[in-house]
Amino acid sequence: MEPLIAIQDLVVALPPGADRAHAVDRVSLTINPNEILCILGESGSGKSLTAHAVMGLLPRGVSASSGHIRFGGTDLLALPPSGLRKLRGRDIAMIFQDPMAALNPVITIGRQITEQIRAHRTLPQKEALALAAGLLAEMGLKDPKALLKSFPHQLSGGQRQRVMIAMALSLSPKLLIADEPTTALDVTTQAQILKLIKRIQAEREMSVLLITHDFGVVADMADSVAVMRYGRVVESGATNDVLGNPSHDYTRALIAAVPRGESRLPPPAEGQPLVQVKGLTKRFSRGGFFSRAPAIVALDDISLSLSRGETLGVVGESGSGKSTLARCVIRLLDPDAGEVLLEEADIAHMRRSALRPLRRRIQMVFQDPFSSLNPRQTVGDILIAGPKAYGEDLKEARRRAADMLSLVGLSPQCLNRLPHEFSGGQRQRIGLARALMLKPEVLIADEPVSALDVTVQAKVLKLLDDVRRQMNLAMLFITHDMRVAAEICHRVMVMRHGRIVEQGPTKDVFAAPSSDYTKALLAAIPGRQAR
Amino acid sequence: MRHFLRIFLSRPIPLAGLAIFAVIVALALLAPLLFARGPFIIVGMPLLPPGAPGLLAGSDVLGRDMAVGLAYGARISLLVGITSTLGAVGIGVLLGAVAGYYGGWLDDLLMRVTEFFQIIPNFVLLMVLVAFLQPSLSSTVIGIALVTWPQVARVVRGEFLSLRGREFVQAARTLGMRDGAIIFTQILPNALPPIIVVGSMMVGSAILTESALSFLGLSDPNLLSWGSMIGGSRSAMWVAWWTTVLPGLAIMITVLALNFIGDGLNDALNPRRRR
Repeated sequence: MEPLIAIQDLVVALPPGADRAHAVDRVSLTINPNEILCILGESGSGKSLTAHAVMGLLPRGVSASSGHIRFGGTDLLALPPSGLRKLRGRDIAMIFQDPMAALNPVITIGRQITEQIRAHRTLPQKEALALAAGLLAEMGLKDPKALLKSFPHQLSGGQRQRVMIAMALSLSPKLLIADEPTTALDVTTQAQILKLIKRIQAEREMSVLLITHDFGVVADMADSVAVMRYGRVVESGATNDVLGNPSHDYTRALIAAVPRGESRLPPPAEGQPLVQVKGLTKRFSRGGFFSRAPAIVALDDISLSLSRGETLGVVGESGSGKSTLARCVIRLLDPDAGEVLLEEADIAHMRRSALRPLRRRIQMVFQDPFSSLNPRQTVGDILIAGPKAYGEDLKEARRRAADMLSLVGLSPQCLNRLPHEFSGGQRQRIGLARALMLKPEVLIADEPVSALDVTVQAKVLKLLDDVRRQMNLAMLFITHDMRVAAEICHRVMVMRHGRIVEQGPTKDVFAAPSSDYTKALLAAIPGRQAR
Repeated sequence: MRHFLRIFLSRPIPLAGLAIFAVIVALALLAPLLFARGPFIIVGMPLLPPGAPGLLAGSDVLGRDMAVGLAYGARISLLVGITSTLGAVGIGVLLGAVAGYYGGWLDDLLMRVTEFFQIIPNFVLLMVLVAFLQPSLSSTVIGIALVTWPQVARVVRGEFLSLRGREFVQAARTLGMRDGAIIFTQILPNALPPIIVVGSMMVGSAILTESALSFLGLSDPNLLSWGSMIGGSRSAMWVAWWTTVLPGLAIMITVLALNFIGDGLNDALNPRRRR
């Protein structure tokens, strides 16, 4: 079969001074008509740049230095910008990771879709609008007429991504490039969008190039797959062959690192609870000084208990209130009602001065490795900030900081370096070390691995579990990822719209979920059927 | 730091600004050594053109050496420019930091005060202040600081608003650090680049403002500044151009140099322009 698009020996050079010479190094790939090809790789593997090279959308300072991208008899790399512009949108269309950023916030959905149609076809606005409405309906969106008149911020994340797909499909392209199209979405939405892409692909018999870091997505979607690392394709072939019988060590390591979504840890023996949350409620009022909109209830009567040596997972989609819960327990937010008892002391309503000595007993690891460390302080200064705040001996603190770095798997020589010299996974280790410097009893981990690649994710999860065991910590683990929760939590609590939907030992919740919502969450895990 | 210097020094415009500014500073510092007699001594006939024997820049309406006047004027201009900016930055950082960090009613209150200062025509307020306090060097400095701090406060508040939500600041709170320590050791160092840029531009505009005040006669009569040189010579503008043009050029070049430096700092300190 004649391939639809053939990438041959593509080399994309990076500007001098980058960590490697080529972002994409002699990559050859073919996509057949009516096929979904997944490019799988971790961050920095060159998977996105490969796709962007096809569209001629390489960032400034980066260019394809050699190779060919053949598409229907023409070499896209040799095409002048005007020729490429005719192809883009009409023959090859693209959707992006963050639909909010990809849509123009001040233009209505209708105009954004028709603008694209009319850039390639002469068509009266009325007919273009009718076409757009049809597309939106095809995407499974209700009331397309009203949607055409709305602005991006009025839609949900899933709706926006559907609009993006509608826009991409408006000129019936032969190839759809989807760059991590579901990474910014909730799991249940992710499952719907993936299903939609698959359905549309089959109905229109087009080709899809899907960029992803998630093995589950590959298993669910791809006809064939190419695994990339350091700018090279390490393995490619039919999905079943690659997933079932990987030939390259890296592919095997990747597959092994994917959390299996099966609980491993048995619930621990019932102990005296260290933290007890009773009837915690938090509302966020909207509107400013002059307008009072109804408040959003972020936490509604939440109760839980946590013992030493135990990990309680709080699972939920965005807006479920799980992060608010974490921030109320550690008193970064003041709850409106309810108690947070650390043994006998009620943290929730304590005066700030009384709270300060207790703060060190509860520590937190944050989500974003790039914003959780002060970019202007050395690792050493970051680690001793806690002991310093309690007036401890700084020499002693420095010595302990070095030990703490070894504990989290970093060299003590890192003390004098700045955060930007470290990778995401290393930064999370530093963040954990900072929390542990105060010898806390409770550790709150707010999505500590969601910004990390799978292989790094597995290592950080193992570290957290080891530390929890060594220091007999009570850990509250916030995550949106059921697979991650299964890996590390003894018990899980599923939250939705600020309420607890279900809780129990991880094993039981995964094996026999009692609520429909938990069932939906479990069903939405990508690649679940494939196993 | 090395990275910053490399960017800053690799561009011709900030480098030129820095060189010009260095010459002016040197001239100001060395003025008492070079011209020990001071700027008010009459050295010859009035209105001698530049290049007359012994008078590099000519003489003014009273027969005083223009070159000496320009050198001494630089002292006043730089002194006023730098001290009033330091004062404005001090007030602005403090109020902006408190407003941005604490938010809520305190933020509302401080921002209304800031707006109060912003909506009154600056120069009019300044003239009233200086006239009220008696024209002197210190009243000029205090006056300029009092009318220019709002722009610093706005910038600092904006930076603090965005930085206080960052996770490293939340981490500092969970570590039990006190608010003062968080503001000064965690947030402020991260907010410095825009403050430095705004500050460098403000020195230039403070020099302009001082000149305008002196031109109107609202300055210490015992000190010669570029503005008062222009003001004193305006009657001779048509017969002896150098009496007004030379101090005017001095003001223009100094402010331009400071703006060049400010632009360079903006490029070098702005993380989005890096790499």
